[in-house]
Amino acid sequence: MTITLATETELPLTAAQSGMWYAQALDPLSPAQNTAECLEIDGPLDPDLFATALRRVTAEAEALRVRVADTPEGPRQYLREAVELPLLVQEMSTVAEAEAWMRADLAEPCDLATGPLFRHALFHVGEDRWLWYQRIHHLVMDGFGYSLLVRRTAEAYTALVRGEEPGPRTFGRLADLVVDDATYRSSETFAADRAHWSRAFADRPEAPRLAGRGALPSRTFHRRTAHVSPETTQRLRELAARLRATWPDLLIAAQALYTSRATAQSDVVLGLPMMGRMGSVALRVPGMVMNVLPLRLTVSPDATFAELVRQVVLGIREVRRHQRYRYEDIRRDLGLLGENRGLVGPLVNIMPFDYGVDFAGAPARARNLSAGPVDDLTVNIYDRADGRGLRIDHDGNPALYGEGELAAHQARFLHLVDRLADTDPQLPLAVHTVATPAEQALVLDEFNRTDRALPPTTLIGPIEAQAARTPDAVALVYGGTSLTYAELNARANQLAWHLQSLGARAGAVVAVSVPRSVELIVSLLAVVKAGAAYLPLDPDYPPQRLTYMLEDAAPVCAITDRAGRLPEDTGTPLVALDGLDVSMYPPVNPARALTPRHPAYVIYTSGSTGRPKGVVVPHGAIDNRLRWMQHEYGLTPGDRVLQKTPSSFDVSVWEFFWPLREGAALVLAEPGGHKDPAYLARLIREQAVTTCHFVPSMLQVFLAEPDAAACTDRLRRVFCSGEALPRETANAFGRTLPGVELHNLYGPTEAAVDVTYHACAPEGSGPVPIGRPVWNTRLYVLDAALQPCPPGVPGELYLAGVQLADGYLRRAELTATRFVADPIGPAGSRMYRTGDLARWTGKGEVEYLGRTDHQVKLRGQRIELGEIEASLAAQPGVDGACALVREDRLVGYVTGMADPAAVRAALARELPEHMVPAAVVALDVFPLSPSGKLERRELPDPVFAGGARKRPPASPREEALTGLFAQVLGVEEVGPDDAFFDLGGTSLLAVRLVTRVREDFGVELTIGSLFEAPTPAALAARLDAAGPASGDALDVVLPLRAEGTRPPLFAFHPAGGISWCYAGLTARLGPGQPVYGIQARGLVGDEPLPRTLQEEAEDYVERIREVQPQGPYRLLGWSVGGVLAHTVAVLLQEAGEEVQLLALLDAFPAEQWRERPAPEEGDALTAVLRMAGFERTDERDRDDVLATLRRAGSPLAGLSDHTLSRIVDIVPNHARMMREHRHRRYDGDLLFFTAAAPRPEHWLTREAWRPHVSGVIVNHDLDCTHPQLMRARHLDDIAAHLAARLKEFDA
Amino acid sequence: MTLTLERIRTDIADCLGEEPADIPVDENLVDYGLDSVRIMALLERWRREHGVQADFADLAEQPAIEAWAPLLGVA
Repeated sequence: MTITLATETELPLTAAQSGMWYAQALDPLSPAQNTAECLEIDGPLDPDLFATALRRVTAEAEALRVRVADTPEGPRQYLREAVELPLLVQEMSTVAEAEAWMRADLAEPCDLATGPLFRHALFHVGEDRWLWYQRIHHLVMDGFGYSLLVRRTAEAYTALVRGEEPGPRTFGRLADLVVDDATYRSSETFAADRAHWSRAFADRPEAPRLAGRGALPSRTFHRRTAHVSPETTQRLRELAARLRATWPDLLIAAQALYTSRATAQSDVVLGLPMMGRMGSVALRVPGMVMNVLPLRLTVSPDATFAELVRQVVLGIREVRRHQRYRYEDIRRDLGLLGENRGLVGPLVNIMPFDYGVDFAGAPARARNLSAGPVDDLTVNIYDRADGRGLRIDHDGNPALYGEGELAAHQARFLHLVDRLADTDPQLPLAVHTVATPAEQALVLDEFNRTDRALPPTTLIGPIEAQAARTPDAVALVYGGTSLTYAELNARANQLAWHLQSLGARAGAVVAVSVPRSVELIVSLLAVVKAGAAYLPLDPDYPPQRLTYMLEDAAPVCAITDRAGRLPEDTGTPLVALDGLDVSMYPPVNPARALTPRHPAYVIYTSGSTGRPKGVVVPHGAIDNRLRWMQHEYGLTPGDRVLQKTPSSFDVSVWEFFWPLREGAALVLAEPGGHKDPAYLARLIREQAVTTCHFVPSMLQVFLAEPDAAACTDRLRRVFCSGEALPRETANAFGRTLPGVELHNLYGPTEAAVDVTYHACAPEGSGPVPIGRPVWNTRLYVLDAALQPCPPGVPGELYLAGVQLADGYLRRAELTATRFVADPIGPAGSRMYRTGDLARWTGKGEVEYLGRTDHQVKLRGQRIELGEIEASLAAQPGVDGACALVREDRLVGYVTGMADPAAVRAALARELPEHMVPAAVVALDVFPLSPSGKLERRELPDPVFAGGARKRPPASPREEALTGLFAQVLGVEEVGPDDAFFDLGGTSLLAVRLVTRVREDFGVELTIGSLFEAPTPAALAARLDAAGPASGDALDVVLPLRAEGTRPPLFAFHPAGGISWCYAGLTARLGPGQPVYGIQARGLVGDEPLPRTLQEEAEDYVERIREVQPQGPYRLLGWSVGGVLAHTVAVLLQEAGEEVQLLALLDAFPAEQWRERPAPEEGDALTAVLRMAGFERTDERDRDDVLATLRRAGSPLAGLSDHTLSRIVDIVPNHARMMREHRHRRYDGDLLFFTAAAPRPEHWLTREAWRPHVSGVIVNHDLDCTHPQLMRARHLDDIAAHLAARLKEFDA
Repeated sequence: MTLTLERIRTDIADCLGEEPADIPVDENLVDYGLDSVRIMALLERWRREHGVQADFADLAEQPAIEAWAPLLGVA
């Protein structure tokens, strides 16, 4: 057959086709939209008659004969009357060879604009065995369409073989589809369907992703094929009949159950490809009609399988009523398209189409090769009635699933289907696990083999034994003080005897509120030696909280360093160490009836209901933990362990006790020192610390400290815990501290500090695992049904074993909800529910994924948002409250009449510092979801802004610092007296600020000094005192940045005489480039003003040479400053010096002004305003001008009356001198910046410089007025050009 | 044995998990949960037990009992 170049019929695309067209347009070379099938035909076949049959079908099926091209009106399809049949008939020696050909063909992208969009091949692969391959672009054909084509081809071929004329054409026309589609889209049904879907998904649920994330569609997919056995298939059919459902309903329910468990979500949205032809002409049209629709199900472990199947049946019924509405349209309506967000998780594609065809008696079996693009995971299920049960293809997007992961999902799914077919459907779904038996054995037993027989000892016993072994070894170092083991032991013993006299004994609690010091260690040891459990009370906590803890824990007494440390009205006897004489007690170990089951310490943690809770940890638990740690990391007497963690944080427990059990030395940091990385780096180096701990966020801060790298000498190992350790931090650690080990530990207070451990590789990738279980500890990752999750599947982490705490002090009910019966371990054992989301890796390590509740960690401190919310809500005038963490800052939201600042202040009195919100935001109402739940996502970002009583900065340095604060904190405006940490500053942001200060001012600043001087004003004062850049802000030479090795840039003052306006250039030019402002004489004292510009310039040349005796010189000036810069440049050249750069900012030579009237006194005020970047508007007098400057936050508002009155003289003096000035010729180029907005002085032109410059004038126009030139936006531009120029010189 | 309208209604109700009284004869059965799998199951059963000749597309094109009756040989 030849191509008949007949006319083409143009048709629009249907909505279904448009979706495909746009998907292809995103990646025109992608073959992903190629769909294909292979029919295995067993029997004799006549290839010629087969070709004839195919030609007939091609002539009948219009969709095959289109090509699709883009037009200005959008894509159109062009239907040809005839096309040549693309058919290959070939002998192939093996099936594999034929299949290889098919795979290669499938990988070829289709050219939509030329067509044809399909291809056939017929392979003869053996005696009476044929493979018929057909590949069609998804834009023109769907799965049901294939079934129509195959049946018609078989019918036509069979007739031809019999010598009969095939029956008349049965296919409908493509135009029918187009009309049908247009009719629907303008119908009321369309509007109703749209409303239905918008309503059903108004809350925009998160799509359940088995891979934990989404990805763009790939060009290919992984496929894994399996079969449900005929027996199981039969049982499924029977079960379906009993449940008055169909087998597809059951498989969809099974996939929903699997997806729910595998994603730890109860709200599951599956995608259902629908043929979309019921009750429509499309039933007889081979074409692209199918649609994917979202099926939303709630999967609860308490519901039965029968109930879930019923939900599926009713859900699909609902979906079918609105099935013509396109998936792309639903996503668009919900605003998901723009976010590139999907709505559905896995697709379940049921293909029930009847393929019982034969070719003149030769039976044929169809096999799908590609069902189209795979966004995530598609489960294709075929029932082809050939007696082999159901065929299941798992297709996965290779960007999300490797072959192994796909295989695992399939194996688990088939296993689950098997179980479901065999289990009473009236049992709750909780009886089912999604892990295969092999996976269960792995995660429950194999990964948890941690049994280790240990002697029954206590926390303190091994310390006393060590003291007896090495009495003279150094046990403790604090500043200049050090204590031997014998000394420490004796002091602790004497205090212990005293405590016993006050009632301390096994089972009792003794509070300790002592800042970090030798006395703190003595006190802790004494309490435990007396047999009691110690309760650390942070001396910095607000009295209200301390009172609560004392009343709640009812200790027999409380040790403090001095009187007045703790509230005195709680009934607890206080033992103040200051002035306490225990010398009458013996220095020997006291007797005590202590067993491993007695409590060793009680540590309070944040409580979700608003009350902190005391965790009671027994000796056996912490002893196990320390014995494991010693085995794993092997501390030696030569080790020195840093103690810097506050005692109220349980990490401190191993810092305190581990070294003392092993004969090592404990090095104490100063109180508060744990927040200062520079101090820590120094301490680690000077005290030869070998072992220490950091919370990851503090480790990040520490690594940014320039001196941190110098710690590698003695430091051997660093432990991290308290919050997720980012991989970047771990890798930064490897770079900064090569050779030092980094260990990531994990554990809640409820399980004796840590229960998992992982050694970080220096250059790892992916999330840092929290690792494997420590001795005598089991980890369970369980799903909502408390069934074990297979590796890779997220679930809640449960802990079991000897390290579990006893529970919460006097909170039996709460204890029972968190410490529950362990269904897996030995009878009677308990497990602790962490609330942490986690998953196993295939290697038996656990990865931390987040929280299941509202507990958050801020700088390692555990915070229950519920507690913050309860505190907020308890404030007068607060109606409703909510708290969350935004970008590492705690934010509170309240409704009601209360003043948010007052609420925050009140919280600061009640809660520890780390629990006080960085900001409290008042709202009229809380944003609610359609279901009435609080939409946390919709809460506004807090605006961290400076206080209301703002004064303008008093110096250029203050001004620059307020700018830096604002930039680093991401806030609009900062006043000089606003404290960094009140504006939402965190330690991480502090690092950034310190780095910026270092770059912009060339001054080394520690994080610690930021704590001491947290406002721009205080910091400026500190920099002035410390930095080499100090000096009076009104001196002739104003060092804006003195540091740097490059030739300095000298910036000359404008008419007003002050050059603070150039402060902004410093930061923009980057570190290494010194910048000096040159200012007029007489601003401060009563020096006479210069008589001529020449005289003034000569003076400046001398001042400049004091800073930089020799060239090359770099000069810049704005306005009058430009004229001065030019004059200075000429003078320098005449003295034989090189001038590298002369940059004039909107400055014009003398003769341009000469004929114009000189300004009057009033114009001095205009000049002052101009120096601040403002054009004078209606400011009448000095007070008005100052008011404007204050409003604008200009440092010029801080000028003294004297200086202002001097400026009033300086401005007209400059005006006069400039008019009298005679320019000499500058030998070189001019870099010029023009304020290009129209101006009243329209005569001004840079061309007037021509006679005074030998080289070229390189100009840059800036879209602003003359005063606006000094504003940030334009300074950016100016600095960029300058920097580029300077870089050329430096090169 | 030929099909009756009541038999059709009962069979449909059965495969939808509904009561026959709840299935109207003149409404689109898709709205009641009828899908291609169920149509094929019904068709298979009716072919087997009642010798019905209609094919899938015939039934799926107009999914209502009234429309099916003549196709299924009900007078």
